[in-house]
Amino acid sequence: MSEPILVAENLTKWFPVKRNLTQVMKGNRTWVRAVDRISFTINKGEIFGLVGESGCGKTTTGKLIMKLLEITDGTLEMKGENATHLRGAALEKYRREVQMIFQDPYSSMNPRFTVRDVLMEPLEIHKVGKDAKEREVWVREILDEVKLSPPDEFLVRHPHMLSGGQRQRAATARTLMLSPSIIVADEPVSMIDLSTRAEILHMMRQLQREMGLTYVYITHDLSTARYFTDRLAVMYLGKIIEMGVAGSVIDRTLHPYTKALIAAVCEPVSGKVNRIKDVPIKGEIPAATNIPPGCRFHPRCLYAVEECWQEEEPTLDDIGGGHLVACRRWAEIERLGAAARTSEASLGTRKSSFAPSA
Amino acid sequence: MKKRDFSQLRSMWSEFRRIKFGMVGLALLGMFVVVVLIEPLIVPFPDAATRWRDMTYWVDNPRNAKPAWVNWFTSKDYAPSARIQSDNIVSGEFGAGKLYQAELPYKYSWDKAPSDVTLRMNVTGNARYEAEFIRPDGLSVTYQKTSQGAGTRDLRISVAQNLQPQLYQFAGKYEDPRVMQSTSASTINPLAVLFSQAEKGALLSGSKPLDGTYTVRVKVVAADATSSLNEAELIVAGGVQGVLGTDNMKRDLWSGLIAGTKWALIIGLLTSFIAVVVGVIYGVTSGYYGGFVDSLMNRIYEIFSSVPLLPILIVMSAVFKPSIWIMIAMMCIFFWVGPVRTVRSIALQIKEASYIEAARGLGASNRRILMRHMIPQLVPYAFASMALSVPGAIVYEASISLIGLGDATRVTWGQILQAAFSSGAVLQGIWWWVVPPGVAIALMGMTFAFIGFAMDTILNPKLKTR
Ligand code: SF4
Repeated sequence: MSEPILVAENLTKWFPVKRNLTQVMKGNRTWVRAVDRISFTINKGEIFGLVGESGCGKTTTGKLIMKLLEITDGTLEMKGENATHLRGAALEKYRREVQMIFQDPYSSMNPRFTVRDVLMEPLEIHKVGKDAKEREVWVREILDEVKLSPPDEFLVRHPHMLSGGQRQRAATARTLMLSPSIIVADEPVSMIDLSTRAEILHMMRQLQREMGLTYVYITHDLSTARYFTDRLAVMYLGKIIEMGVAGSVIDRTLHPYTKALIAAVCEPVSGKVNRIKDVPIKGEIPAATNIPPGCRFHPRCLYAVEECWQEEEPTLDDIGGGHLVACRRWAEIERLGAAARTSEASLGTRKSSFAPSA
Repeated sequence: MKKRDFSQLRSMWSEFRRIKFGMVGLALLGMFVVVVLIEPLIVPFPDAATRWRDMTYWVDNPRNAKPAWVNWFTSKDYAPSARIQSDNIVSGEFGAGKLYQAELPYKYSWDKAPSDVTLRMNVTGNARYEAEFIRPDGLSVTYQKTSQGAGTRDLRISVAQNLQPQLYQFAGKYEDPRVMQSTSASTINPLAVLFSQAEKGALLSGSKPLDGTYTVRVKVVAADATSSLNEAELIVAGGVQGVLGTDNMKRDLWSGLIAGTKWALIIGLLTSFIAVVVGVIYGVTSGYYGGFVDSLMNRIYEIFSSVPLLPILIVMSAVFKPSIWIMIAMMCIFFWVGPVRTVRSIALQIKEASYIEAARGLGASNRRILMRHMIPQLVPYAFASMALSVPGAIVYEASISLIGLGDATRVTWGQILQAAFSSGAVLQGIWWWVVPPGVAIALMGMTFAFIGFAMDTILNPKLKTR
């Protein structure tokens, strides 16, 4: 089952920061290290989650996979072939293999196009099918696949005549037109109604099973990630800090940052709903131009000790069971966590004054 | 064009219909187009466009005649221009040859005599002819002449030029001899004599017009069998003529103005169309590619947009003596900068939309993104921009023509104005030569300005007053 389809090795993307004249004269170049030497392997047929706050580099990673951005350093391998820098026919072939669902269903389709135009576009670009008729047959099949039926009704609609959920279905349909292997889904449900989210994710999962697709699911939302993904990578400031099987990462969280993320999730449990969270994190996310020395999380980490910023940055190490973590104190933290859980009851009473009487 | 693009224009149209001045502009444009289409039907001189500077084409017209409707506002009416064709030439044996006879009646009921009355006879071969001008009171003046020559030709007897001695004599019979002595045949106005009552004091001044039917009796004696009278026509060159009168070269200004409409439309629409198409493509390309390409294109744009167009046009026209097409081309070279800035900023905005990124992710080429995703969105703006740059093109052409550097082979409004100014029409009070082309230029400009502003109102929600 675990046959690698996409392998990233030290994948890096630096963006130059706009300079003023004096900086140019001095020869200063500042860089935003949006993605900073990350390595991961995505297996065929799995749903791989990339989780993190906005600005952590997860979308940039998605665009690097999509080849919408040039890779600064590191390598990307697709089905065993080097895909770091592609041109011409090789790029075209790659584009047919990798498709993307964009976050904003309202702007990911040309407002002047009808659903038919939107779905025909990939076929036209890659000259699939011999004429418009043949293409339309295929378009109708896919519309059926994403449950936009009857197709006749939807084909002539413009995006603004669709609901958010329908748009995301149409966007999904577009990605399927070329029968790709990998679909990068960048927050596909974050901008649509809560009530339809599960439906869309369910549809995506069904498609994945039927067609043997591989998803890269990019999100800031750990709760959908847990529900939807097989494996998870948590990113912070351009770096993966914890990665592993979704259940393991969420239930046996080791990195202090992942812990903070989980703590921030609203838990729909009676009595806890409106509780103001005591999130175990401090400060704000620093600018990606100025990454803290040592462990890049140390200014915000509640567990940070001197060696965290004095020593080299901790590496992403396997601690068994395919669970990787980049924290030098993970073992101690796990022990502390076990201790803290026993005192949770007292924590709950302390905070209850803020909660409505349930 | 795909259906999609039409639906976009259709929705624009439904908004456009609600804007009053836009509809006024559209109605005016419709009027101009209709005028161009039915041009031959509404002008008395359909060859005006091609023979504007051909003196022979205008020879029978009065000089500096006022528009016909001036009579509505004056107490003393001018005789309008008229043509009386003989429909009945009687011929009979006359010795070795033939005698042709024709009568041309002219009904006169005005206060001011026409500026000339010309008898035109189309004859073949040798002919001796006699024209008797019979007044309503029975008195008459006769003119005789022999014309020899081969072939068919027009003979002209002009009252103003040929009948002066006869009419001087005629006046002498009734006028005070002392008055007659102070004048001579060459100083009297023969038309005034012909059309006034045979009374002392009235004949030379023409102060008492004689109303009634004047008849010109033509007798042509053809000397041999090969000679003949083919046609006889009386041409009255009035004091007023047609819708807009004539200029000092006897040209019918209405015909010229209508002929100029076509050129105004061609100059305006062609220039703005080419310029806007180039400008839109330029702006989109610059905005889409960004970076170095954008900077370079911006510099080029700035050079073109900061060059003052009129002086350049004047210099180039003076050097090249350009045809109208070259002038259109020269205007295009500078007009394309008009839409660039706006188009570029719109392009920058569209470029950020994630459907552009989506298209790139699908492997769409830059060309495809530009042509399929970006340019179609600029179509409405392009239309507005075209409409707004039409008046400029028309005015520039008129300006070049006005200083005498335009294409002298066409009749444009600017050319008419130029002729008016150079012959001092303003100082002589020939307002009907100056005002109509000026108004036409303004009206045409207004037409497109209205349409353009209306489209702008639709596209720019900020301007919407509702
Ligand atoms: S290495 Fe230190 S600072 Fe970094 S996450 Fe672990 S405990 Fe916190």
